[in-house]
Amino acid sequence: MGRRSFVFVIVVAGAAAILPAFAQEGHPLTGTWSGDWGTSATKRNHLTLVMNWDGHNVTGMINPGPDAISVSSIAVDVTNWTVRIEADAKDASGKPVHVAAEGRLEDIGSYHRKISGTWSQGAERGDFRVTRD
Amino acid sequence: MRRRLLILAFVSSAAVPAFCQPALSTIYDSDRQIKLQGPVTRVEWVNPRAYLFLDVRDAAGTTANWAVDFGNPLELERNGWKQSALRIGDIVTVEGVPARGEARQMLAKSVVLNGLGKRLFAPSSARRTQAAAPPAPRWPDRQIRLGPAPGEKGYWGTASARVLVENTGAKIPMNDDGLLVNLTDADRVAPFLPWAKAVYEHRQRTLLRDDPLARCLPPGGPRQFQMPNGFQFVEQRELGRILVLLGGGDRNWRVIYMDGRPVAQGADTVLSYYGTSTGRWEKDTLVVESVGFNERFWMTNGGLPHTEALHLTERFTRTDRNTLKYEVNVNDPRTYTRPWTGGWSMEWVPGKDMEEYFCEDNAESTFLR
Repeated sequence: MGRRSFVFVIVVAGAAAILPAFAQEGHPLTGTWSGDWGTSATKRNHLTLVMNWDGHNVTGMINPGPDAISVSSIAVDVTNWTVRIEADAKDASGKPVHVAAEGRLEDIGSYHRKISGTWSQGAERGDFRVTRD
Repeated sequence: MRRRLLILAFVSSAAVPAFCQPALSTIYDSDRQIKLQGPVTRVEWVNPRAYLFLDVRDAAGTTANWAVDFGNPLELERNGWKQSALRIGDIVTVEGVPARGEARQMLAKSVVLNGLGKRLFAPSSARRTQAAAPPAPRWPDRQIRLGPAPGEKGYWGTASARVLVENTGAKIPMNDDGLLVNLTDADRVAPFLPWAKAVYEHRQRTLLRDDPLARCLPPGGPRQFQMPNGFQFVEQRELGRILVLLGGGDRNWRVIYMDGRPVAQGADTVLSYYGTSTGRWEKDTLVVESVGFNERFWMTNGGLPHTEALHLTERFTRTDRNTLKYEVNVNDPRTYTRPWTGGWSMEWVPGKDMEEYFCEDNAESTFLR
């Protein structure tokens, strides 16, 4: 493969990796959010958070798929856009662990708004940061 | 600050027709005023904005080229102005407000031709005569026509209001962009749920900077009838539908199905900017039910939010040839505490066709990159 072909492939691959950005101008929490949580900068766990506003409550799910965690409650304070998430998961041994996260929504007008804050799962304490897809 | 913004809106609506794409309040800094003088180097008499360009020399003797936005050329022509009012090389003095940031761009409040002292592009002082309008044209079966009579031309132009608020009789001070003078009036605009009010207030506080329309996304919902370039109905009776051709928002169109199909259910429809619309006639009023809206747009100037649960009921009543009354009922239980109604009227532009218009993303910097 020549140098120009190699550059072309890299450019195309890079472009394909860029996800499209769509406006979402309804409830600021509605949508799928991606990011991670962890107890340190190097120890991170992938995190996908799906939230939906049904007119009364924000409902949600963590890491949809076979290991999905159903969110028991999401409380939002719209005066400062803080979000508190409660869920019950299981650890690797199947033992129940409680998940509690509290974060703040940043830049609610942005396509790719973010939520960041503290995350606890069982005995582990750390932080999380997710960006709306 | 807000008071100044309102003053800007009123002044600019007098000197330069308000054009909301993006909102003037977003582009221009009403806290500052500037006055420029110099020879005209170029005139862009192009929809949606007319610009003139000046070579301006500063105190140090350095010359820089400035772009001066002086309004929408269609509105200017309606006020009797032509591009030929200004020639390359004319010396003009321009007063107005500068763009935010460092761009050499301003919104003109006045343009004066030096030497003659003549003010250019001012709105017509003569008010339109309110002669009795002819009756609304009708089809042979006596149904109201929403378009021109056979052999005539025309379209629906300026709306009597460029913001949507609940019909309560209260007057809420805001500019043509929908920016409130007093943010404390938010509760009087619509019966918001708490999250929706917070979002609305955020959009107001940030001077509507995140408006999707400014990124050339379509003006869905009632906003399509708030655009300065008007719209027209094309009644395809043999096909059981009415097309709404929009003069603003990238020459979009919308279909209103008149073939008796039931109102689409939200869960069954592909979500879109204009939703799925079905219409029926109730005597002389066209009643249109629309659902299936996506959440990618602001449904009115000023940033009223909505969700996919939005259900609009629009009522169009042509009371005479020149007047179309528009009333819209907003029913979105995920955004508002109850259904509410607002509206305005539109004025017929006789004898003319809609002009070409395309949204230009970041139009304010088009000439200055």
